[in-house]
Amino acid sequence: MKQRRVAPVPSRRALAVVWLAATIGFVGLLFVARRLEGPRDDPDQAEQRVGFLDEGMLPIAAPVITAGLPAAGRATVVVFLRPADAADECTAMSRQVGSAAALVAVLSGPAPCPGIPAVHLDPEGRTAAAYGMRAPVDRGPSVGYAVVDSETRVRYRTLDPHPAANSREVLTILRAL
Amino acid sequence: MTAGARVRGPWRLCGWCAFAIAVEVGLYASYRGHDARFHWFTHAFVGSAAALTVMTVVTLVRRRPVPRPLLWPMVTHVFAMIPDLVFSGGYAHRRWMDVFLGHISVHFVPGRNTTWLVVFLIALAFYLAAIDRVRPPEVAR
Repeated sequence: MKQRRVAPVPSRRALAVVWLAATIGFVGLLFVARRLEGPRDDPDQAEQRVGFLDEGMLPIAAPVITAGLPAAGRATVVVFLRPADAADECTAMSRQVGSAAALVAVLSGPAPCPGIPAVHLDPEGRTAAAYGMRAPVDRGPSVGYAVVDSETRVRYRTLDPHPAANSREVLTILRAL
Repeated sequence: MTAGARVRGPWRLCGWCAFAIAVEVGLYASYRGHDARFHWFTHAFVGSAAALTVMTVVTLVRRRPVPRPLLWPMVTHVFAMIPDLVFSGGYAHRRWMDVFLGHISVHFVPGRNTTWLVVFLIALAFYLAAIDRVRPPEVAR
């Protein structure tokens, strides 16, 4: 006769060790993950790159920034950048997203922004505030982007320390409009 | 233990353990690529808590521990993550994706991941208590 296989029942002490190990392990992992968050990340990670349109108070009317943008008829991506990153991010964003939407760069200080003609200086963060951009961990200027639909409504906004590196994500949001 | 039964060796459990851990490491690594570790924890805790709740009920009903216990949380974790896998394919999240164990809403509970960690640990405690409750009387404590 074929024997039926049964799992052994661990001792009560072993069960307690499993629970303690899980507690210590996951608390430790969560602590390490939080330490790995960067100074330009959102202090509330739930609010960063949520991946869906119209979160919270959205949509809201998008204020015109410069050169008549955002304008009705075509989606616009408003990129918020710090001067040190502007050159690389502008070049990459114009190459990777420029064919899918109009681009506006909002810089917190003067810097070259190759590939994006519509550039706006926002040293006091008023434009970022008007778009509802959140303050990052270091409390400095917001770095990220907002997506405005063809009816000039802000449908998505997020902090993102490296918007160009996540350009596929920007394109995914644009497709969802 | 019933006549004719034999005890399964611990190496068997560890084989599934290694498999489940390897899958979880792979899932975590997939999130690292787009800087969203936070989401791995959320869906791991929520998925595991859901699995542990089911495992607790099954254990109490069948009067024995569930087979391959590490696979259950892994499967529910993957289920909870499906919208993120779809997102990687270029499809944005939608509200209806809450059918995947609250994929959208669970991020916004007060306390965020700390809350879900506590929920997970409570669910784990209940499951382990259920195992202890169905222990055959001859097994030493």
